Amino acid sequence: MRLAALTLSGINLSSPAEYCLSLKKTLLETEADLAVLPAYSSLLLAFSSGRYDESPAFCDLLNEMPPRLEQWNEEFLSLHSELAAELGLYLVPGTYLEVCNQNIYHCACCFNPEGRVIAVQRQTHLNREERELGFSRGEELKLFKVGELKVGLLIGCDARHPETGRLLALQGADLVLHCGALDAGVNCWSQAAGIWAQVQQNQFWAVEAPLCASMAGRIFAAAPIIHGPCEITQDKSGYLCRRYPGDPYAAGNINEAARQALKKRYPLLGLLNPHAYGALEHS
Amino acid sequence: MLLDRLKEKLFQRYLVWLFRPARLRRFLKGELPCNIAPMVADKRKIRVAALQVKLELYKNPLHYAARAHERVKEAHRLGAQIVVFPEYNSLPLFGLLPGVDQMDNGLNTPNSSAEKPAISPADIFNFMTPAVMPFIDTLFSRLASAYGIYIMAGSYPLADGKDLVNRSFLYGPGGKLLGSQDKVHLLPMEVEWKMKKGNCFRHFNTGFGTLAMPVCMDATYFETFRLLEADGVDIALLPIANLEEYNYWLALRGIWPRVQESALYGVKSALVGNAAGFTFTGKAGIFAPLELTSDHSGVLAETENPCGDAIAVADLNLEALQDLRSEHPWRDKNPAILKTLNEAYRLL
Repeated sequence: MRLAALTLSGINLSSPAEYCLSLKKTLLETEADLAVLPAYSSLLLAFSSGRYDESPAFCDLLNEMPPRLEQWNEEFLSLHSELAAELGLYLVPGTYLEVCNQNIYHCACCFNPEGRVIAVQRQTHLNREERELGFSRGEELKLFKVGELKVGLLIGCDARHPETGRLLALQGADLVLHCGALDAGVNCWSQAAGIWAQVQQNQFWAVEAPLCASMAGRIFAAAPIIHGPCEITQDKSGYLCRRYPGDPYAAGNINEAARQALKKRYPLLGLLNPHAYGALEHS
Repeated sequence: MLLDRLKEKLFQRYLVWLFRPARLRRFLKGELPCNIAPMVADKRKIRVAALQVKLELYKNPLHYAARAHERVKEAHRLGAQIVVFPEYNSLPLFGLLPGVDQMDNGLNTPNSSAEKPAISPADIFNFMTPAVMPFIDTLFSRLASAYGIYIMAGSYPLADGKDLVNRSFLYGPGGKLLGSQDKVHLLPMEVEWKMKKGNCFRHFNTGFGTLAMPVCMDATYFETFRLLEADGVDIALLPIANLEEYNYWLALRGIWPRVQESALYGVKSALVGNAAGFTFTGKAGIFAPLELTSDHSGVLAETENPCGDAIAVADLNLEALQDLRSEHPWRDKNPAILKTLNEAYRLL
């Protein structure tokens, strides 16, 4: 299976139609069976294609979105559904905001090659800014099937909370898809402390798709990466493919037989010691 | 058979005599300083030293003691208030066993039972415990007391009754043994040796912050550091002995990500080198949350080379750590996810 992490760098965002054409071209280039777009993709397209009357600050973007949300979400999701069906791939279109019972959730979903939604996931851990903006946390992490693989979705700073990856791994995750957005800066270490660390302690594959774009006074940039356990990557780095921040995508093929052999040889999850974890429940 | 047992008993008695604490005390009396005042704790600047110890086999336990003293003396000269020794810190003393220096496949457990040796690693550790451990206790108690510092003496494979455990020890500036910690997550090799795993993590409140000393593989699991953080631990002292060829990324997988996930400081000491068919690699280092390192690397100090003797020294600021914890930019808790995770643990 070939996986791709897209950053939206270089994608034409001037209108949904231009976006579709531009994204299609990049997706074809990746030759991926499964592609993941970064966090805030819906917000970025809405902002860049003139859905806002003025140019608000980033936090205002998030605040002003809800009133027009339902209609925009429908448009945003349907254009990605059509793309997934047209290209015959699994597609995670990045993230969008959803209002449910007056709670705002930061969500991602996955379309199958027929263009149907096969999974929806809410962000489960919020950073300080997201909490101040009034977002609510999702309360479950569920797996879905992509071919023979069991797959989970993580959003934003879920990546930095190892409980998320462990829960997915204990449910049997083979692959974790992450939609992220980090402020531009030295992010190689925070990325390593996030998804890379989750992969190494759970022995699954991961696709890390961080946003590379500028929006409402904020600049986002980080490296798109396809991760695997160190032992089964060429230089033992844990990076099957890692590109520079600003590159449009990273793509790589996974060898599931090699991962299964590693798990048998070095069963990390089998060496957990849950008898010692009693106090975690109350921590 | 009877004769073999008799020889074994006699040899063990010889080792007990050779390692006797009284002999060590006499030796140290002429070596250790006697007028060093304990250091004053400043929570904004606690100097810690992580030792990288080259594995050498000793035929005389006093040579081992002298080398340990040199290391502590050097760390003290550099201003260290907490000194950390590595995992399997008694292996150099196994040089006293006949034939160990000629071994070429270490104590590695063979894969097939047909290759199983007559003596298992567990047998050797059990055999050495009565002689070695009183010696170790005396040595590190005296060193801590003489220099007025905290010493995490590393970890030791030892017999505790009928159980084999991998246990680390912490000594206070008065030379008192403050406590011990059994390794909670075992390597597959240790599982094969039928080692008993610990079932909790302990912490020690000191004038230099709250300390804990998980052992090596414990740092592979985020759960360890979450538990330490919940106990208010500021500094995790981690002894390691990695049986693998050095690779930057493989080495990064232990304490570094754990320190990032659960905001605390980490001090890693490493046993390195070749002996008795073992090859250990690793760099001693001192780690902090990215937010508390000027280059955002999460590394305060690290030795340059994964082989040979070395020392890493750095200052830790516990007040800055508390500030980060209370105003953390991205940390969050999700009780629903934690509940589901705990249910998943129960199914294991």
